[in-house]
Amino acid sequence: MEAFKDQLDRARRGEPEALSALYRQLLPGVFGYIAARVPDRATAEDLTSEVFVKMVEGISHLRASDEAGVAAWILQIARVTVAGYYRKRERQPACVPLEPRFWEEETSGENQVIYASHPDLDPARSAEARDEWDAVVQAMNTLTEEQRQVLVGRLILGYDVATVARMLGKKANAIKALQFRALRSLQRVLGKHPAPEHASPLHTRQKEDVP
Amino acid sequence: MNPLPERLNERLERRQVRSWNGEEPPDWLLSPVPAPNRDPEVDELVALALRVQAAPPLQVDPDFARQLEQRILVRHAALHLERPARGWSFPRLLRAHPVFGVALSLCLLLLLLGTGVLVAAAQVTNPNNPLSVVKHWEQQVQVSLANSPASQAQLELQFARDQLTTLVTLADAAHAEAYREALVELDQQLNIASRAIHALPTGADHNRVESQLATLQADARHTLRGLLPQLAFLERLLTTDELGRLGDSVPHLVSVAIVLPAHPNGHAIISIAGDEIQPGAQLLVDTRLVDVGGSLQNGVYVFVANWAGNQHPQSIGILNPDGTAAQTTTITLNSSDDHGNSNGNHGGNGNGNGRGKP
Repeated sequence: MEAFKDQLDRARRGEPEALSALYRQLLPGVFGYIAARVPDRATAEDLTSEVFVKMVEGISHLRASDEAGVAAWILQIARVTVAGYYRKRERQPACVPLEPRFWEEETSGENQVIYASHPDLDPARSAEARDEWDAVVQAMNTLTEEQRQVLVGRLILGYDVATVARMLGKKANAIKALQFRALRSLQRVLGKHPAPEHASPLHTRQKEDVP
Repeated sequence: MNPLPERLNERLERRQVRSWNGEEPPDWLLSPVPAPNRDPEVDELVALALRVQAAPPLQVDPDFARQLEQRILVRHAALHLERPARGWSFPRLLRAHPVFGVALSLCLLLLLLGTGVLVAAAQVTNPNNPLSVVKHWEQQVQVSLANSPASQAQLELQFARDQLTTLVTLADAAHAEAYREALVELDQQLNIASRAIHALPTGADHNRVESQLATLQADARHTLRGLLPQLAFLERLLTTDELGRLGDSVPHLVSVAIVLPAHPNGHAIISIAGDEIQPGAQLLVDTRLVDVGGSLQNGVYVFVANWAGNQHPQSIGILNPDGTAAQTTTITLNSSDDHGNSNGNHGGNGNGNGRGKP
């Protein structure tokens, strides 16, 4: 607690090491939160960058002095940034690329060689990854904002219930209930989208278990 | 058994502790097939939590993380360079020196309190109120801030007028003392205004405020006369004095002589010489009204009253029909024995214009 406060004070004073440490601590949560809300990784990365630039610009005005307060603050910035992204998208006309996206491109012999040597460019892999991304986004978008923040706090940032409770200004029991309801909702939605093979260690084991 | 959310949380907590300790999750947790004595519903949710936790879409790309870290550090350095150029800002000053914030808050509080006191003091009418001191100070400040002697005289006149208004609110038995003090203040304020006006050089300003003073004095005479019937004797005496100072015709006692009776329960003869004693004036002995009529004989008002015992009065006064009053404690006492037949000295006993008992 004191160590975090000290780190935060140093970050406020502008010490680059403290700022880096804070960034590394918060990045997974912020990215996870945004990635679960937007349609692709590139957008998630753009918005994450935007959030951390805002963090750097606003940290000297930050009133919070504990980890929960800082996490709540940065997730609030992330929430506003994602909302801004969707508002902007609503105003823009839908745009269809003239060139096919790489996973839509017809495979030629040359490309096949490339895909074989670069698994990330493998169309099958890309399509699978895209499906999984869509599934996660779709599932996370069915949750309420509080449920999303609870999952980010508990599962991605790894905070305990008490810290997430302080972050959201709720009681511990309420957080447990939100956590339960969030996972139940995800279960309902993700049940329709089985996890791809490489998605998690869980699935790998699953495959081994099933003959 | 604990409710489901509680059980789920316990399992997640245990899993988190193990993950911090670098332990691998046990097979039962990773397997979708429920182990014996396990909670299948909770197991499924824990497995889902792990799946979400490890979902590739939610994982940060290390290259991106490094690039972004560089980017924010560059941005931070740029901001650091920009800030001193912008100079200090008030919120930053407050953050840097919390004591300054506390001092500022105290100043604001004092300012608010001071303003409140000044506003409250301005409304004060009762001279006994401690805020009246503040009111005087406020008036002095206003006068000292006035930009010319004519404005100062004008302000003094205004304060005198305010004081007259205040006096009207105190003209009752409940506020006798406050009334007396307010009357003294009115007198002082009128004098101050008068001096301020006389100090002005002759000219248009002087004439204007002098005419305003005359109007105020006439208003004051009219107002004070109107108040007389509501006042007790002492306040009437003081108000009559003030009316006299304002140039009104008020009674004034020059001499009072009493011829006491030679025997108890005899008649005393009270002769009062003075100015502006009106026909029908009533006698007051020791500030108490004596129900006896008097008559004017050779410029002296004579009352004949029943006198109990050989008592000597402390004060003799008269109350005119218009409500003005006058009193004196300078009394010449004679007894009938000293003069033989005192009645003869004063030309009779007033024809028995009434009998009174002090």
